[in-house]
Amino acid sequence: MDYNAQLKLQAWLDGELPEREADEVAQWVARDREAAALVEELRITRGALAGFNAEVRLPESREFFWSKVEREIQRLGAPAPRPARATYLAQLRRFLVPASAVAAVVIAGLMLNRQPGSSGGSVATEMETALADSAAFIYRDFSAGTTLVWLSYPADNETAETDDMDTFE
Amino acid sequence: MTAFEELVARHRDRVYARAYSMMRNEEEAIDLSQEAWVKGWQRLGQFHQESSFGTWMTRIIINLCLDQLRKHKRQRAESIEAMDEESGGVERQMPVLTVNPTAGLERGELRQRIDQALGQLSYEHRMSLVLHEFEDMEYKEIAKTMGCSIGTVMSRLFYARRKLAALLADLKNRDSV
Repeated sequence: MDYNAQLKLQAWLDGELPEREADEVAQWVARDREAAALVEELRITRGALAGFNAEVRLPESREFFWSKVEREIQRLGAPAPRPARATYLAQLRRFLVPASAVAAVVIAGLMLNRQPGSSGGSVATEMETALADSAAFIYRDFSAGTTLVWLSYPADNETAETDDMDTFE
Repeated sequence: MTAFEELVARHRDRVYARAYSMMRNEEEAIDLSQEAWVKGWQRLGQFHQESSFGTWMTRIIINLCLDQLRKHKRQRAESIEAMDEESGGVERQMPVLTVNPTAGLERGELRQRIDQALGQLSYEHRMSLVLHEFEDMEYKEIAKTMGCSIGTVMSRLFYARRKLAALLADLKNRDSV
């Protein structure tokens, strides 16, 4: 039996083979005594080790061992663990950043839907900054019926080379 | 700190057992266990309950032991080639055991023999066996932990098992003489 075949038997025993290959090896083991003997030996070794580890105990009393750990923690001035809340805040922050960008665009869109002059203004051109985010600028030219919106956010994981510009007419 | 003390009390045997099975030295295993608990305290904020606390602590002790064993290896100036030579084919030539070398042994006796046999394996072989048999790690996971290929893990495991079987048989033969 060559070495690769031996390793394949081991992989079969360890449940590391895909189902089809495992079936083939099972048939091979059933008809080949040499393969069956090797599998049996590997099984015996596994069986001998089972449970061996569970019996090992730390040979020091709870108090003595803890006193050493505690002293070392204090000596190193190890930082107290961060409260779990910090993790939630970080997750919330990850959600809020893109959400605020979306909110800015929605606000800009709502403002664009307003009829020019409906607020009583008679200015021919207007430049404003969206309240929710100073990175969005709106330029309106009522006489030309043109509105320009500058969104200066870079996309995630991307450096903005130029500001995005959308035109609504 | 009191809650952490309770965690130490609950998992200290498991952490120590892993250190001992890898290091084969009681004193070193105790020192590394202590270091693992200090690290556990320092990194408690990084524990996100993706696994159980015991498993998380076991990963810390495994990494500490691996670092320590690598230091030992450098000190002994053992080369990878030497290790490969050691496992290069010997296990393929070993006759397959037909008698179970652990049959009829009492628990304490069996434990002692396995302990002895494990101590005679090189650290790479022992590690592969420990991670597979005691940590239930798959080949892929062992390869990642030990920084080698899956093929190497398979070879090391195979050698370790066959060598262990031969050592156990040898101990049995010596006893019966």
